[in-house]
Amino acid sequence: MENKVLKEQVEKLAAQVNGEVEEIIGELVLKVKASYVIETLKGAKSFPNIPCDFLHDLCGVDGVDHLEAVYQLTSLRGPQRLRVKAIIDRENPVIDSVTSIWQGANFLEREAYDMFGINFKGHPNLKRIYMWDDFEGYPLRKDYVTEPIEVRNIVRTRIEGE
Amino acid sequence: MDVALEKKLRDDETLLEKNILVTNIDKLLNWARGHSFWPVTLGLACCAIEMMATGGPRYDISRFGYEVFRASPRQADVMIVAGTCTRKMAPLLRRIYDQMPEPKWVIAMGSCACAGGPFVDSYSMLAGADKIVPVDVYIPGCPPRPESLLYGLLQLQFKVSNPAKVRLMKHGK
Repeated sequence: MENKVLKEQVEKLAAQVNGEVEEIIGELVLKVKASYVIETLKGAKSFPNIPCDFLHDLCGVDGVDHLEAVYQLTSLRGPQRLRVKAIIDRENPVIDSVTSIWQGANFLEREAYDMFGINFKGHPNLKRIYMWDDFEGYPLRKDYVTEPIEVRNIVRTRIEGE
Repeated sequence: MDVALEKKLRDDETLLEKNILVTNIDKLLNWARGHSFWPVTLGLACCAIEMMATGGPRYDISRFGYEVFRASPRQADVMIVAGTCTRKMAPLLRRIYDQMPEPKWVIAMGSCACAGGPFVDSYSMLAGADKIVPVDVYIPGCPPRPESLLYGLLQLQFKVSNPAKVRLMKHGK
């Protein structure tokens, strides 16, 4: 029942932001273009009665011809769940940062930047989080080629403060 | 038998009756070192859980005198590399090794520390701790059971107490 109410709200929001709504294994998925992401998430956060106001997870996905940023939203007040997928251009992977909406997105966006090279515009401190600062390439992209083992076994010197 | 040696042996025997042992300082030091390793707490991944289990009462590492896990490398003489060493961790691992006072030994615990394990083809992986520090004992397993770690430590004890024998074994003699 909850899902029905949520679906109505999500469809209304989708019409505003040119998105598509799908239902995958009982979970609502809203696909939008990267430029609408702030509007979409602000809208989802302020749904009347059933706000999806908690950013559960944020990750990148490589869809070969495009990149995606996936936002998993849940609520602090009820069981509703919503998944927002933002389609990002592969050649120019730029998307607005959601740190202005959720402070917790800070590290999650750094991870997506580290692994997929998605540039989050407006992020306060966008640098690598898992890999070291001078690492080249984005390892979770489909076209990333791992360096041969001889190269990987050369130990780098640590940069102070890293 | 050599007369001088025979006389020396007979002297030793009479000393033994008076509860006196005769040895040389090298042997004594090696015996002491081999029977009281102070490992540095270097748990990098899941092998550390087995290392903790070894320290616990069921497997009781203190039976052998190795229970003093030190948090500071300056007070330790054995580094148990327990777990996956990533390339980002490698310089820090080397630094911890450099901070340990001599004499010092390294045990590579688990497949990852031995040769990279299941992650050997990963972009972030250093294929074996022996690429950056000299390893004395390799313990295979994923993760090795506490018994394996104890056996590895006992092998290191043998190595430390009998340096000449180990050198001969290494060169196949």
